[in-house]
Amino acid sequence: MKKVININFQGRILPIEEASYETLKQYIESLRQYFDAEEGRDEIINDIECRIAELCDDRLKKGAVCITEDDMRLIIESIGRPADFEAQDGFEATTSANASNANQGQFSDNNENPKRLYRDEQNKVIGGVCAGIANYLKLDPLLVRVLWILLFGISFFAYVLLWIAVPNTSTTQIGSARKRLFRDIDTKVIGGVCAGLSKYFDVKVIYIRLLFLVPTILLVFNWNHFHLFQFWEFDDFPNFIELTFSPSAVFVYIVLWLVLPEAKTTADKLEMRGEKVDINSIKNTIQTDMEGFGKRAQSWGSSFDKYKKSAGENGKNESQTATTASNAVPEPAQRRGCLHFAGRTITILFKAFVYFVLGIITISLLAALFGVGIVATGLLPLRRFILEDGAHNWYAYAIIVFFIWVPVIGIVTAIIRKIAGIKKANVWVRGGFWSLWALSWIFIPLFLATLTKSFSKQNDPREQSYTLPNPKVNYLEVSAQPKPKYYNHTWLKIEPFTSYLDQDTAYVRNLRIRIVKAASDSFEVKYVRISNGKTLQESERLASLINFELQQKDSTLLLDKGIAINKTDKFRNQHVIMTLAVPVGKRFKISNKGWAQVNVRVNKNGWRSETNSGFIINDGFDGDDWDRNIDTEAFDYDHDVEYIMTPTGLERVDGVKASNDDKENPEALKNRLEELKRESEQIEKDLKKTWEQKQKEADDLKKQLDKKGDNLNRNSTKKESSVSDTVKAIAFGFDAIKLLVSRFQS
Amino acid sequence: MFQLTAMDIQNTQSQMRKGVLEFCILSIINRGEVYPSDIIDQMKAANLHILEGTLYPLLTRLKNAGLLNYRWVESVSGPPRKYFVMTDAGKEAFFVLLQTWNDMANAVSLLTQPQPPTPNTEA
Repeated sequence: MKKVININFQGRILPIEEASYETLKQYIESLRQYFDAEEGRDEIINDIECRIAELCDDRLKKGAVCITEDDMRLIIESIGRPADFEAQDGFEATTSANASNANQGQFSDNNENPKRLYRDEQNKVIGGVCAGIANYLKLDPLLVRVLWILLFGISFFAYVLLWIAVPNTSTTQIGSARKRLFRDIDTKVIGGVCAGLSKYFDVKVIYIRLLFLVPTILLVFNWNHFHLFQFWEFDDFPNFIELTFSPSAVFVYIVLWLVLPEAKTTADKLEMRGEKVDINSIKNTIQTDMEGFGKRAQSWGSSFDKYKKSAGENGKNESQTATTASNAVPEPAQRRGCLHFAGRTITILFKAFVYFVLGIITISLLAALFGVGIVATGLLPLRRFILEDGAHNWYAYAIIVFFIWVPVIGIVTAIIRKIAGIKKANVWVRGGFWSLWALSWIFIPLFLATLTKSFSKQNDPREQSYTLPNPKVNYLEVSAQPKPKYYNHTWLKIEPFTSYLDQDTAYVRNLRIRIVKAASDSFEVKYVRISNGKTLQESERLASLINFELQQKDSTLLLDKGIAINKTDKFRNQHVIMTLAVPVGKRFKISNKGWAQVNVRVNKNGWRSETNSGFIINDGFDGDDWDRNIDTEAFDYDHDVEYIMTPTGLERVDGVKASNDDKENPEALKNRLEELKRESEQIEKDLKKTWEQKQKEADDLKKQLDKKGDNLNRNSTKKESSVSDTVKAIAFGFDAIKLLVSRFQS
Repeated sequence: MFQLTAMDIQNTQSQMRKGVLEFCILSIINRGEVYPSDIIDQMKAANLHILEGTLYPLLTRLKNAGLLNYRWVESVSGPPRKYFVMTDAGKEAFFVLLQTWNDMANAVSLLTQPQPPTPNTEA
């Protein structure tokens, strides 16, 4: 009982047994490989197919029910197998696989014969992959194997993949048609490797791409795992997997990019899609190869013994085979092959690198945009505390949606489309994305203008003092009311709206603490309430609304939970500057738990940076020099560090001096200045000396020049000018040093 | 020393065959428009065996060289078939080859005669 299928073959409908259909397909594939380099390959194949179809038709007309395997065998015999062509009129078919090597040396200039990667059946150890690559690259298989073993960790997957996907050499001889792995350049994104693999395994391309992409992204984010050459530490298996997998995705991709041919011709593309590769065929390949491996291993064992006995003889044989081998492969072809391959390797590696960098840039850009988007969207519930109703509000919405989320969504969809192999985005969709984004550029200045305006004025700060109930303590710690527990750990903190947010009121912990030296022997606290506003009146009103309450418990000064902001009295950068006067000899500590977390960082210019939340734009119109640049009294300090006030300045209780060295050691500075002076004097002297020397030289040259004839005049003037140039340069350096010295002195 | 092995003899044989194969095919086509399998049959009749698999590439090559041309001829059963004809260039080439062959055949038949009728020059 045999299954019969109907095929449409060269315009004829033929009932054919499935097995003989397979034979037919394999036969045609073998012909295709045989006539691979032939100019009119497709035409020849077509003619032969026509003839086969005709012969089949004849057979059916003679009364056969279908084309049986015997029929097919007879037909194929009458037309001849590639092997028969060679036996019969061997030299007529110059395109055979065996002869192609010889041809390459002779007509390689116009020989466009695409070299193909096969697994080498004759010289294989496991699956013949290494031998095949060695053949392909015209290298010693041993070299390839050693490299392969050295890179075992990361080449393992590549090996298995190539084993499955690359046909072995016997296909050229026998003519079994297997699906072949190509790089699909029609649907490629980078090198077409993923697209080719997807065609080969008949999987949607997106899965293959993710398979390569995910480990690559992991690799990018996880440079720690890049122990490329530490794979011998197999101690923990999962780690090994991780090690091998993430770098090997890139590695495998590059290897495949290098060795796989492009699917150029239609025949290639057909082969690429080919027939389904099922798990059985994979299993069969590997099983048969492994059986062979066992046998070969045994035979190696015995041959090794033999080798020991007759080492000399073998040596002779080997040298013979070596010479024949070198005869077989013509030298120039080999060199050209190597050079060509090296060039290709470099270009591909370079391309891979560029794509890698581009990928990283895209990912980080996306991540940044996404982060900003999340933060901005997270701030939306707070907008009522900042933004006025109406236009202002809408601008904010428009910016968040159009400027941030539109590009994020656009880029993500573009990437998904690319990965999924969808050819082109709809023009309207793309245009829509772009125009929406462009629209956001109109809203940004509008928004900024209105926002700036509502922050434009600032109230006139008035210092108020708070009398401590117990100012004579030796130690004072500034801390805040403990936060309510239920809102303690938000996953996303948006300063300065750290916490205490309910429907109507937000509490802003916008406080700066200055530390100054107290005149008396008791702690003193003074504070200033500051606010911005659209008008001066508004800012005054908002400042007066700031409720700043303090509470002293023994040696702890507790701050209130924050400046209350409600929907009518919006956030206009209300903040409090508290001045803590510390008497000499007493200690204090500013706890990090307090309000202080927003505003007490000190930057290099000596002024404290404003709110570090970034979205409040209060720089540039905060014309408040009072607390910025001229704040010479105040000392810098770190959080959660205990300090003691000394006559010369703050000192850490643990012995390290505070970082305010401008005031602390003027003596050291003086010493340094003197040192510099001395140095500069030295340099001055040296320079004078060299200057004099050079001038002397110049004079000598001039004298010499006078003596010389007219012919040399031109040359000598050149020399002269170069000498005068050096003199000038030295003089310039001299001036520069002088300038420097004068600066130091001042 | 060069020794003739079985391989080398086969080699020479196939070189000889190859040399005349194209000429034979051109001769058959020169008789008139012909279908490839008819070429096979005619050669078989002349006791020259050739595989169709070698014939098709040869025809294609000759056609690409401009010596042959083909046209599609409707057939009673099935799709149209490709018939080959000589071009003018092909005819020219054929006559040159014919001349060469006649010379060669003469020379070979002369040389393969058991007793050379030439005067003895050995003395």
